[in-house]
Amino acid sequence: MALRELRFKAGSALWRDLRPSIYPARPFFTRDASTNALQDLESSSFTVPPPSEDIVKSYDPVARSKSRKNELPPSRYQYRSPKYYRGPLHPHQPPPPSDPSSRLFTPGPFSLPRLEQTYQSTIAPDLLTLTYTHFPPGYRAPPKAQRLRSWEGDSPYFKNRPLRGPRGGDNLRLLTPPKTFRNIPKITGVTLHSMVPDAVDDSAHLHVAGMVMQAISNVRATTHKARRSVQQWGLREGKYVSVTASMKGEDTFHFLGKLIDVVLPRIKEWKGVKGTSGDSSGNITFGLPRDAVALFPEVEVNYDMYPPKMIPGCHITIHSSATNDRDARLLLQSIGIPFYGKVVN
Amino acid sequence: MNTGQRSARQIALKAGWPAKGPVCFSCQHQISRRTYAIAAAAAVETQTQANLSHILPVTSTSSQQAYQVRAGVVLSRPPLLTRDLHPFEKAFYLYQRRLNERLALPFTRYFYFKKGTPTDVEWKRKVKARLTPARDIGVYNAYGDEGWNDEVLVGAKEAETEWQVESLLKDAEAPITGIPGQESENGAGAPNGVEFDGEQTPGVSSEKGKVEAVERLMPRVTTADRKGDMKSLDRLLQRSLYLLVKNKEGRWTFPDDRLMGKENLHQAAERVLVQAGGLNMNTWVVGNAPIGYYSFDFPTRRPGLQKNAEELGEKVFFMKARIMAGQANLTENKLGLSDFKWLAKEEIQSAVTPRYWNAVRNMLAER
Repeated sequence: MALRELRFKAGSALWRDLRPSIYPARPFFTRDASTNALQDLESSSFTVPPPSEDIVKSYDPVARSKSRKNELPPSRYQYRSPKYYRGPLHPHQPPPPSDPSSRLFTPGPFSLPRLEQTYQSTIAPDLLTLTYTHFPPGYRAPPKAQRLRSWEGDSPYFKNRPLRGPRGGDNLRLLTPPKTFRNIPKITGVTLHSMVPDAVDDSAHLHVAGMVMQAISNVRATTHKARRSVQQWGLREGKYVSVTASMKGEDTFHFLGKLIDVVLPRIKEWKGVKGTSGDSSGNITFGLPRDAVALFPEVEVNYDMYPPKMIPGCHITIHSSATNDRDARLLLQSIGIPFYGKVVN
Repeated sequence: MNTGQRSARQIALKAGWPAKGPVCFSCQHQISRRTYAIAAAAAVETQTQANLSHILPVTSTSSQQAYQVRAGVVLSRPPLLTRDLHPFEKAFYLYQRRLNERLALPFTRYFYFKKGTPTDVEWKRKVKARLTPARDIGVYNAYGDEGWNDEVLVGAKEAETEWQVESLLKDAEAPITGIPGQESENGAGAPNGVEFDGEQTPGVSSEKGKVEAVERLMPRVTTADRKGDMKSLDRLLQRSLYLLVKNKEGRWTFPDDRLMGKENLHQAAERVLVQAGGLNMNTWVVGNAPIGYYSFDFPTRRPGLQKNAEELGEKVFFMKARIMAGQANLTENKLGLSDFKWLAKEEIQSAVTPRYWNAVRNMLAER
């Protein structure tokens, strides 16, 4: 960072000194912006030819560092990001989170998942073709009625009141815009959730559940307390009873790939996901029994290390960018999750 | 959801048809058609009919000039394999994995391997060789003094996907005879991470302990690729392949035929598939809307199907279709086709006319 600051300060100092003299020093035969604009662009390392064969073969960074007689000053290779953010005006600014020296840096992605590639190459174009609605040229969408209701009546108190929510509930549901190549539904994440009521008496259940969730999802599991006591279920307020793991990005696709290709086909007499599942904004949840969770390859490979009968079942919520369940179901069907029974949108 | 409410006709009626601007013939025809569903909304209907009164009726006494409407099918086989990564992507992913190794907590060894068991001994042998729990990042000690040396050098074999797959498979090969002393000696002598040789035949039993062979992956390049067999569906597994046929005029096009009677584009596409490629294809015509079109003006007008009708040219509307199984067979085709090929996008460009290519290029997938 010292280097970074030095460069920044040196640059600004130079700039300050040079500024008045730079304008008169412009060459007379200046080119237009349009001519040879490509040459003006910053040269990319991709266009530069690679180093010659012998340089490549003889380059050994470890030997080079060992052959150095005097150790480099620590400021050349050791940098610690500031522990606390002290505001935008502080001279010592933390590096961006994408910088490996940042405290917030998370490595990744590590691969290009197969399901993601299939989505890009096959599923998304097909979904667009399937859900396309043709509007004749010159079509203008009809004006929509106001979504919030006004207060009808003679009461003088209705005047200037904020509008009422829609019938049947206070929250406005998501709008579904016409389908274009920009808003094809895609999978944004998966949340695993496992409720372990036995953990009230014996926390070992919770630990095992956490290990299983971490193993199959590749993300750190978080635990949750019971919010209130329920006598019939044996719940006590404040006791840790459930585990969740929420995946995003690459992990999602790896998890779904395993789920669809390895686990689901091996569940005995599994009918599919219930057609009524969904929160009407594009997120669909289904459950797996404990035998099915044990079928995940990460659990199966060292099944003996988990205490017997402690592997929990779990709920899997697949989050998608679809704005209604109909589109979300179409997306999940296209990646290979079957649905059964009555369908609710 | 009720599809009737979202059809183009319903929408157009609600919006107050006719709209300004050009309207295609089929849209007009579709909109002006009376159905029982619309008859219910009589008031709206009458108003619309009044509005549409200036549109000419479909049949006219004078000679009619129109385009011949054809349905084409873009039958494609989606990519079956993941694509080859760019060298930069390979190096990037390996670098990220090594960074992860540096930042991650130590491997919880005893959760996976019980102390003193043969698997634990095997584990120790492997880690001694490659210095890291990760199996596919090469010999790299993330916690050591040289952990900073995490970047991949130019031409390093560790960045190659083949090397990574091979090292994963090699790791999965478990020795059948689990005599700990022998195994550890063997492992110390020949660490699998260091002395890897790509051409070494896998699963060969070593001198001391036999190794259980793990099934190797199928090659990503098939015999059809090597022979240049354009008719095989097994070629170019990483790309989308499209069915092109040689028509009566000797041009390579997507299979197409004119619309018969009252059939719609979807039905016509299904018919064209059967009439062109035979019944030995498991296909799915995706959606009801075309994904592209091609129009061509005849040099001289041709007589149409009806009397007094003249055809100015042809308009081909392409429907998207996928092939799941089977293969095209042109022996009994009814469209006068003589040959077929399965081509990737850039191969289509050289096979078809420039005009045709300009019309179809944007509906073909890059991969």
